[in-house]
Amino acid sequence: MYENVVMPEGMSAETLEHLMNPKNYGKLEESNCVGVALDEKTGEYTIVYTLLDGEIVKDVSYATNGCQDTVVIGSMFTDMIKNNDLEYANGAIEKMHQKLGSLSPQQQICADLVFSAFIASLKNFENLSSGAEEEMHVLKMKDSCESTGKEDENNG
Amino acid sequence: MKIMDKIYQKKHELWLHILFASFAINDEEIKSKLYDFSQIAFRHMKWLGSDILESGSDYNYDREMTLYKRDNVFEVIQALKDEINSIQKIYSDDILANRIKTDDIYLLEYLEQILRDSSNNKEVTAFNMKREWLDKNLATEQIDALTLFLFEESYKEYELILVYAFMQARTDNTTQFSVFQDLIDESHFHLKSFGNMMAKLGILALPRELHELTYVVKDLEKFVVDGIAEEEAAKVMCKELSDAIKDEDLSKFFDFINYQESYHIELMKRLLK
Repeated sequence: MYENVVMPEGMSAETLEHLMNPKNYGKLEESNCVGVALDEKTGEYTIVYTLLDGEIVKDVSYATNGCQDTVVIGSMFTDMIKNNDLEYANGAIEKMHQKLGSLSPQQQICADLVFSAFIASLKNFENLSSGAEEEMHVLKMKDSCESTGKEDENNG
Repeated sequence: MKIMDKIYQKKHELWLHILFASFAINDEEIKSKLYDFSQIAFRHMKWLGSDILESGSDYNYDREMTLYKRDNVFEVIQALKDEINSIQKIYSDDILANRIKTDDIYLLEYLEQILRDSSNNKEVTAFNMKREWLDKNLATEQIDALTLFLFEESYKEYELILVYAFMQARTDNTTQFSVFQDLIDESHFHLKSFGNMMAKLGILALPRELHELTYVVKDLEKFVVDGIAEEEAAKVMCKELSDAIKDEDLSKFFDFINYQESYHIELMKRLLK
């Protein structure tokens, strides 16, 4: 849809589409593992629901109370890793860097919130597989949005 | 899903549907009436929620809806009409349900009235993604800043309305109840303002769904402290936007919103007493 839209210079049509209709947003009832990345200072979190089938990410979704950077990165990242294997998913941080250009420190934290939630979901899968009872795995973030400027946040 | 939960979810979706139809349509009279109806639908939701809690059950903010990009007013109105008709079948038969049904029937009659007059069938530009504000001369960077602000804050206001409503429904403290009501009313106004601006720019979109981690508040004090920090951040964003936008009317508007956020902080502090 957005491929045919001529946008003014600046924010890309793809970014705008992710803002208007984030992909893979919301709960995934069929998931078999759930991970949360939490920024305790700000209360911002991302939750990722993953459906793993062996090494393949059969399905994935996310939700967040974070900023629009987190929403766009979550939408792009989940779209990238869906139906790909874990090796591909693990290399996605690098791919996201290429996709977004150079990220500002604040955007990097938003991206890490998404990636960490996905990693937490894999940890949840590992824990459940070894017999642990764990509704979701929570990773607390070391860096916080609170300690970075927001001056570059328009670099969608 | 229990029938009451289903009705609650459908009413939540209908509230958003009417609200966003109001944002999408440019005609001021239709916009204004639909906005009033959306407020009635929000009160329906509140009363349904109270009944659910009184019955010992609970509800959530899950929703399954898509805001389709419509091209003209009649498409928007017809879709709304279809949704109101579909919800009628699941209402129960009690005093509240009968009140809701008569409100819905009145709204349906109003929608029919719009559809009978072909001159109402104007183009809808709210979804065209052009990001043009026709009567303003805004540079690309200003439009970008405004776009991000509107997505950020429209979600935030929707979130605040629902979180405060969730807590209001569960408090017996009259001060808290009153503060939550003030904050809900304020956020309705902000959401209305931002939604109409998004439509004007052609980027109207639903705020994303709330996850229960966001609205099930276990620690009120931490919630309020975090909320005050968010209000402070919103003030900074308003100020930055007001400085960045080289348009006197818009700058004044964002300063006005900024000062309102200051008062929200004072209201929130009362929740800590």
